[in-house]
Amino acid sequence: MLKLMKYEFRKTMFSKAVILILTAVAELAYLVGVFAKIEDTMGLGIAGLFMCAMIGIFYIGIESLIVFHKDLNTKQSYMLFLTPNSSYRILGAKIVENGIAIFAAGAFFAALAVLDATIGILYIGGLKEFLDILGEVVKSIQINIDVQPEHILMTFLAGLASWMMMIVTGYLAIVLSATVLAGKKFSGFASFLLYLVISWIGSWLMSLVPEMQNFYVQFGLMIAVAFAIILVMYAVTGWIMEKKLSV
Amino acid sequence: MLESREITKKFGRKTAVDHVTLRLEPGKIYAMLGPNGSGKTTWMKMAAGLVKPTSGEMLYKGEPIGVESRREIAYMSTEPYFYSWMTAKDVGKYYEDFFEDFSMERYQQLLQSMELTEDLKTKVLSSGMMAKLKIAVTMARKAKVILLDEPLNGIDLMARDQIMRAVVESAAPDVALMLSSHLVDELERVVDSAIFMKESHLIEVSDVEKLRIRQGKSIVDRYREIYGNGGEQVC
Repeated sequence: MLKLMKYEFRKTMFSKAVILILTAVAELAYLVGVFAKIEDTMGLGIAGLFMCAMIGIFYIGIESLIVFHKDLNTKQSYMLFLTPNSSYRILGAKIVENGIAIFAAGAFFAALAVLDATIGILYIGGLKEFLDILGEVVKSIQINIDVQPEHILMTFLAGLASWMMMIVTGYLAIVLSATVLAGKKFSGFASFLLYLVISWIGSWLMSLVPEMQNFYVQFGLMIAVAFAIILVMYAVTGWIMEKKLSV
Repeated sequence: MLESREITKKFGRKTAVDHVTLRLEPGKIYAMLGPNGSGKTTWMKMAAGLVKPTSGEMLYKGEPIGVESRREIAYMSTEPYFYSWMTAKDVGKYYEDFFEDFSMERYQQLLQSMELTEDLKTKVLSSGMMAKLKIAVTMARKAKVILLDEPLNGIDLMARDQIMRAVVESAAPDVALMLSSHLVDELERVVDSAIFMKESHLIEVSDVEKLRIRQGKSIVDRYREIYGNGGEQVC
């Protein structure tokens, strides 16, 4: 599985390099702003870093679906399906690699934020002054940051479940399109429609979760149901690939 | 060793392979012959596990085609299929990563004999160079079944000789080798049996030696009988 993951990473290395370069440019703007005490440049850098983090992480998720679509619908599919790996393993490697990539990107941007804040504090001359400037910058780009420490784990779990739901829904839609609609016109558009339909079914199933008195129990139940749906979709996708998919 | 039982593959309304029962034995080299659209490629892809049959079954050592069979069956597709970012060296590493029977040393020897270098990028290769690269990486495996789909397509005479030499070198008592090609006369000198496909049906499996001795015919003669001027009717 590690070997499969290595090549999954290699397939998306170019876009990750582009995200890194754009981040480096934004970081440079931020540092110039901090060292030269130019608020506009610093603001531009922060906005750029924020955009790189948001769009970058989102794109890493979306690219996984683009690569999977290509892996099933072009001749490069032979590279995967000639190897002695089951469809479940191929699918699993894609999900895990993408999960690690998103997590690593998140950790990277978080670490960069901490590092930049530290540099800001050191060079601007004190925490209060830095936070004041940061507050002005955040106000000027209209971002409202309100992080409760106890929500970090919940946000992580909710984010993980949402991302996995999105990815496996996308995989299932692409596999259905490549099997049921193989060779048909508009199969790409059909995949998108299938994605919407499967997403709707997923949301409907989630809405069946009974309401609980305790918020945390309710949250835990929602996460458990979400992961159960994800598991079923993964198994169904793997089964279709194993038994029905011709590349 | 490798056999299909009443195997059928339909793509929508088109039947690509129709109830084909065929068995490959180790130690033999087979020529898979027939015009375009006769079902040769689809049969090979089903044997490689890339295409799933509509009905019937494809078995390797008595088991359905799957993960285990892919360890021992090497298939070379007629189309290029390497990732665009790969160099010839990357292709070798990829095969080394996934196939236990792959020999990097043999791969390098084959590349050298085909006048290819490891730094060549696959996306800029000419069709002839790509064909040679596909052959090199496929034949560098010590697979028990080797399926080569149109290995001589778009290849010049000298390179064809190199490829045929590599094919002969890979022949072994425990290996079944199958080649499809339109260049029937090129295959005549190396194959043991000829499999004739027509309009998605299996027409005949002929032992080349017996055909020559008993009927005084070459496979080129038999090919002309089957496919020339309307040829023999499919049952």
